[in-house]
Amino acid sequence: MKVAVLGAQTTKFGELWNNSPRALLKEAVSGALEESGLKISDMDAIFVGNMLSGILGGQEHLGALVSEELGVSIPSFKIEGACASGGLAMHQAVLSIISSYYEKVLVVGIEKMTDHKPEETTSALMGAGSDEERAAGATFPSLYALIARAHMEKYGTTEEQMAAVAVKNHYHASLNGKAQFTFPITIEQVLNSPCIAAPLKLLDCSPVSDGAAAVILSAESFALRNKKQNVKPVWITASQVATDSLGLAQRESLTSLKAVVSSSQKAYQQAGIKAKDIHVAEVHDCFSIAEIIAMEDLGFYHKGQAAKNIFMQKTRLGEKLVINTSGGLKASGHPVGATGVKQVVEITHQLQGKAGKKQVKGANIGLTHNVGGSGATAVIHILRNI
Amino acid sequence: MTSGIVSYGIYIPQFRIKVDEIANTWGKKGKEISRSLGVVEKSVPNIDEDTVTIGIEAAQNALSRSGINPENLEVCFVGSESHPYAVNPTATIIGQLIGMSNNYLAADLEFACKAATAGIQATVGLIESKKIKYGLVIGADTAQSRPHDVLEYTAASGAAAYILGSDSKETIANILDFTSYSSDTPDFWRREGIRFPSHGGRFTGEPAYFTHVLGSAVKLLHKTKLKPSDFAHCIFHMPNGRFPREAAKRLGFTEEQLKPSLIVDDIGNPYSASSLLGLAAVLDIAKPNEKIFLVSYGSGAGADSFVLETTENIKKNKNKAPLYSDFLKYKNYISYTKYLRLEKKI
Amino acid sequence: MTISPVKIWRNQKKIQKLIGKEGKIVSHSLVYVPPIGFENEAPYPVVLVQFKDNKRYLAQLTDWNDNNLKIGQTVKAVLRKTRNAGDEGVIPYGIKFKPI
Repeated sequence: MKVAVLGAQTTKFGELWNNSPRALLKEAVSGALEESGLKISDMDAIFVGNMLSGILGGQEHLGALVSEELGVSIPSFKIEGACASGGLAMHQAVLSIISSYYEKVLVVGIEKMTDHKPEETTSALMGAGSDEERAAGATFPSLYALIARAHMEKYGTTEEQMAAVAVKNHYHASLNGKAQFTFPITIEQVLNSPCIAAPLKLLDCSPVSDGAAAVILSAESFALRNKKQNVKPVWITASQVATDSLGLAQRESLTSLKAVVSSSQKAYQQAGIKAKDIHVAEVHDCFSIAEIIAMEDLGFYHKGQAAKNIFMQKTRLGEKLVINTSGGLKASGHPVGATGVKQVVEITHQLQGKAGKKQVKGANIGLTHNVGGSGATAVIHILRNI
Repeated sequence: MTSGIVSYGIYIPQFRIKVDEIANTWGKKGKEISRSLGVVEKSVPNIDEDTVTIGIEAAQNALSRSGINPENLEVCFVGSESHPYAVNPTATIIGQLIGMSNNYLAADLEFACKAATAGIQATVGLIESKKIKYGLVIGADTAQSRPHDVLEYTAASGAAAYILGSDSKETIANILDFTSYSSDTPDFWRREGIRFPSHGGRFTGEPAYFTHVLGSAVKLLHKTKLKPSDFAHCIFHMPNGRFPREAAKRLGFTEEQLKPSLIVDDIGNPYSASSLLGLAAVLDIAKPNEKIFLVSYGSGAGADSFVLETTENIKKNKNKAPLYSDFLKYKNYISYTKYLRLEKKI
Repeated sequence: MTISPVKIWRNQKKIQKLIGKEGKIVSHSLVYVPPIGFENEAPYPVVLVQFKDNKRYLAQLTDWNDNNLKIGQTVKAVLRKTRNAGDEGVIPYGIKFKPI
């Protein structure tokens, strides 16, 4: 399979008081269209990733809102899968192209979270889990805290090792003009930050953010007919989704996300590669422990080995495999529906050599890993420029 | 046919607050208050407990002690001053959650601290008229008191559940007779929609508690032609440590007869569960063929008296559920600030 | 959003069978930042418990001390009030775990 990425752009992520959702999506979309050299009227369909527009903003029917704002009447769909909404929107867009139903499509991930009080957002995010978890007052951080505790018990993972994930991602974000947080942090600062749900502290957790990201995709044939000069074409060569139980109590394991294991294995097979072929990856670090477990589930490290390698900075810019050059969710920000699309934007720019100060030299193959809830949905994309 | 108690079960929340702890906040001397009220510490429910949750614990203990199938219970009466709803019965929430079928009469009863004993009298009527075989009566309260009021030292929490029946192979204590004494005496009251009760100070003594408790007791002793010396044990409603001791003395009961029932010395006044928890403490240590005298009291006012007699079955299932003494083992003392948080006063 | 009384009704029928079941803590987390409806209880522990039949359930721990927050702690399922229903809503009762 080869689906072309013709354009990719994100807005800045952060507390964007002055920017309405409509303004954010326009900014991301016009940026992506400009990169692609196409106009909105060239698009055959729009795929929108978003989780909270209804429960927080009272606005459902986002597909129609986006097409209206962009001034078109083409097919437009909102796709939701909690924090994997953006990745799922990418997947649906890919399906529409490889089925030849559409030729050129727009994918936009958008989320506006900072208009509301933290308690409202915390409560809304619990929609990603199960009813049993909501009745227990198990906030989203507490679910990953339960996972962290189990991983610490089973593999001896330490709070310092988890903190190292946040430190690395803040360092990368300091090189990313679009990131929410561009200041570096230390392990000490992470350990001393207030406890949210033991053992996860404030700096182990990704923030609440606003932002939008957009990607233009096309069929291989269209891309080959319309090659742009001086632009390395980027191809999506795998797009896989897997699901697991909504709630932690129904999972087989607390220390591994089965949906990530199975979707990534299928993705490597689909792309004809192995885990060790990946040069650069955007991994879903909603919480520091999530990146550690992801590195194991994606096959980059054996179970129980990822934490110490991350602590030894083996996945930092300059190393053989670089993780989360955007700053990840922790430092770049996590506007829920936008994240899965932003991950594709980051990898696309890496593969085009357009990543600026955070460029991974000679990156040819990249991976994005987008997870919904505590692991109920996993979406993997593999991209290459050769 | 004689009806009686087939099984009983109790529950007391684990938190305790000392009279000293409360007194210190208000600049009073804890020792003096303990001496005048006869209370040292009281039980406090956790923030997630209410009359329903503690009633369920007591009812389940009664069911485990007896092995009776909850689907065979045909009555569920819950007496309380702290029903969670003004309209929506506690009795059916408890009934559903302990596994009762749909074939039962449910009702919530109110009469200050004696609502549950009224339920016992009514259930006996249903059993002896052969309308039902087994009935469940629960007295449970998570009593509220106004900060700085004298009731703050005694208003406590607890639940006692009694399964009544008439099969002589099962009953552990027969209810031989009972009576009730009622009048309109506003010694302690709470208006609809108001959070904390009010009381008439010393009016709650002679004209209220003593008139009704002694009036009911004397009437029953006369009716049954029994004397205090015929009884092995007695139990009186315990709003504080002094009133039940005084009532026993005036009627001619001894300290030994009263002692095992004095749960007020351990946990304060759990309102509708007071005399029924006292009865449970007595049943825990009673021997077969012993007579028990019980008088409950409810402000407003009224007193229900009972003559019970234990049977040979009293020892049979005793240890199949926690005893009163077991609940005294798991105590967790809290500060006055935590107390205010749990009681949602802050 | 208010909790629907119909949902509470259905849920209470479901959890009736769990009351009294014993199990062991598999993982735990003390929640310091509560969502709407749980403000009064924070900080409170959420625990994942494995019952003797190997089924698992996630709920709060109640009547707890610091030394109960350990993997392997034995617990019993009890019925308690769960979310704060405000002054007017139907009171939701549900499963919590109590250390034994």
